[in-house]
Amino acid sequence: MSQDPFKNERFLQSKLDEYHVKVPDIPLHSRKKRWERFINYLASPAKNPIDPMVSTLNGIMLVKTGPVLCGAVLSVLPVLVFV
Amino acid sequence: MFERADELMIAYQQGDMESLDQLYLLLKGPIYSFVYRYSRDEQLSIDIVQDTFIKLQRSKHLYKREKGKISSYLYQIAYRLMIDKLNRRKKWRSFLPFLTPSDKEEVDLADRMSVREAVAALSEVHRPIVLLFYYHDLTHEEIASVLDIPKGTVKSRLHYAIKKLKEELGGEENVSRSL
Repeated sequence: MSQDPFKNERFLQSKLDEYHVKVPDIPLHSRKKRWERFINYLASPAKNPIDPMVSTLNGIMLVKTGPVLCGAVLSVLPVLVFV
Repeated sequence: MFERADELMIAYQQGDMESLDQLYLLLKGPIYSFVYRYSRDEQLSIDIVQDTFIKLQRSKHLYKREKGKISSYLYQIAYRLMIDKLNRRKKWRSFLPFLTPSDKEEVDLADRMSVREAVAALSEVHRPIVLLFYYHDLTHEEIASVLDIPKGTVKSRLHYAIKKLKEELGGEENVSRSL
């Protein structure tokens, strides 16, 4: 092919050729329902949202002291409101 | 292979249900590979393959041989379904960021990872062009029709993507260094 821009890119070709994909067995007719797919999506492993905080000292302090402070505020709040 | 696929599609349009099964066997692999290399999500790729063929069954009369190969037509359906799904996921993630799936890629060889990473690092507009051109042997015209962009844009994006891949993967000098 005269328009093939990969023609002279042997190194790139050799690298791209290493990218193999294993095709699983996919049945044609047994399609999952939308709801099942949504549940699967919700149940798939997800990133821990607190992970980035744990990597810094300030983040660790916030994760540790945050719940204590929240608890303290919540316990003092009724006293301030009702007394 | 693709001439055979076109013949099977015509037979299916004429009512031969067995041709659909054969067409599926012939093209599910290439479509899965395309979607998987683009998204690196196995479950999404399986869903897209099934949805593509369901859509084909629902609108089999819309395919016209003069307009192009059945493989290009199916890549087009798969690409649109995949982009719709990925955009919908992006919206969900903006509401519920903790739903972001973790990367659970298997680590094989260092080299193999680097080519995967380099392909994944290409932008959303450049990645499908490299995949369709290199792995699926589509011409510039066919890619233009699958992605619904001008042929000139395909050429320029392909040129840019090759340049970017070479930067990411290193050049010939890396071969001699590693030997």
